[in-house]
Amino acid sequence: MACQGLQKGETLESLKRESETLKKKLEEERNKLNDVELHQVAEKVEALGALSMKTRRVLKGHGNKVLCMDWCKDKRRMVSSSQDGKVIVWDAFTLNKEHGVPLPCTWVLACAYAPSGCAIACGGLDNKCSVVPLSLDKNENLAAKKKSVAMHTNYVSGCTFTSSDMQILTSSGDGTCALWDVESGQLLQSFHGHTADVLSLDLAPSETGNTFVSGGCDMKANVWDMRSGQNIQSFENHESDINCVKYYPSGDAFASASDDATCRFYDLRADREVAVYQKDSIIFGASTCDFSLSGRLLFAGYNDYTINVWDVLKGTRASILFGHENRVSRVRVSPDGTALASASWDSTLRIWA
Amino acid sequence: MKDSIANNSTASISQARKAVEQLKMEACMDRIKVSKAAADLMAYCEAHIREDPLIVPVPASENPFREKKFFCTIL
Repeated sequence: MACQGLQKGETLESLKRESETLKKKLEEERNKLNDVELHQVAEKVEALGALSMKTRRVLKGHGNKVLCMDWCKDKRRMVSSSQDGKVIVWDAFTLNKEHGVPLPCTWVLACAYAPSGCAIACGGLDNKCSVVPLSLDKNENLAAKKKSVAMHTNYVSGCTFTSSDMQILTSSGDGTCALWDVESGQLLQSFHGHTADVLSLDLAPSETGNTFVSGGCDMKANVWDMRSGQNIQSFENHESDINCVKYYPSGDAFASASDDATCRFYDLRADREVAVYQKDSIIFGASTCDFSLSGRLLFAGYNDYTINVWDVLKGTRASILFGHENRVSRVRVSPDGTALASASWDSTLRIWA
Repeated sequence: MKDSIANNSTASISQARKAVEQLKMEACMDRIKVSKAAADLMAYCEAHIREDPLIVPVPASENPFREKKFFCTIL
């Protein structure tokens, strides 16, 4: 859509008014279908038993805040990245550090494991996302094999491989998300629509097709069609920055964690927020969230150093996990659902089971 | 100066028009009732809850993180 002049009778004010009218109409349409609340329907669901999760491993090795982590599909390896510029690949069973990649920038905000387990992606304040192939040879200098793939005009806040090692999806402080070809570094698709930094993204589970959700400082969560670049749905319920977004395992819903101290749950087919996870006693921002395998539990990490475990259906808190000594920056459930990994500004990672 | 003012307003108009188009497109979506959506979310949970090791724990011997035994590497 090129910059055109005004059409007949159109002014900036009339467009803004039309915008407001359409927004109200959208709300009305959504509200017509709001015949019941999720937690009311969930009253007949059996209550959860007591959860007996505790710290089973503490991974020490980073010199500064751990900002991001991701599990490998093999359910035992993990990659983590830190403010100290290091990316470490761990064997979570043995606590062995398998690889350490020093990067020239500090604040490596994002890291991801490739589906094959043979590479990792990382990025941050360098405005790039790079892919590093992992070698079996411990003596090999991995940093030398690092390949820049994504180039943004501001920090990279999140990255993930798509269904293969060949493409990565990134989110950035420049307000956009982008899809890249790893081999050529070519930009395949860019996603415009956020009006401020994008802080997080998550790919829909493979069965549900080619969409992803993003959240950012404009307090919006947007759902995108990967092929067309189109923003297909948008949710504006939070009252502050959205730090993390995560799909529900069925792909029909997603959750968000925000600086407004709440986590929220949205159903994509009903096109609305269906739950808010909050408590008067929780006043610190939530920076990260992830679902358990069945989707019944939502783990959320907060700036008050705790992880709250929410009953997704009933809307109540099921448990609190204490242990970290500073903000929890990332939580991720392992691929087979047996454990929760958490990363923290206290420079450690913990495994809970 | 006049040019830059013109550019600013063309950009805002373009943005405002895009916003209107986006909202029109979102308004056309086929939505389902929350009661149906909720029922489906619950059904998914119900179908998978027994395989969720953090809710229905598997025996410690089958969960490598809960196992008491530690692995040693030979240096």
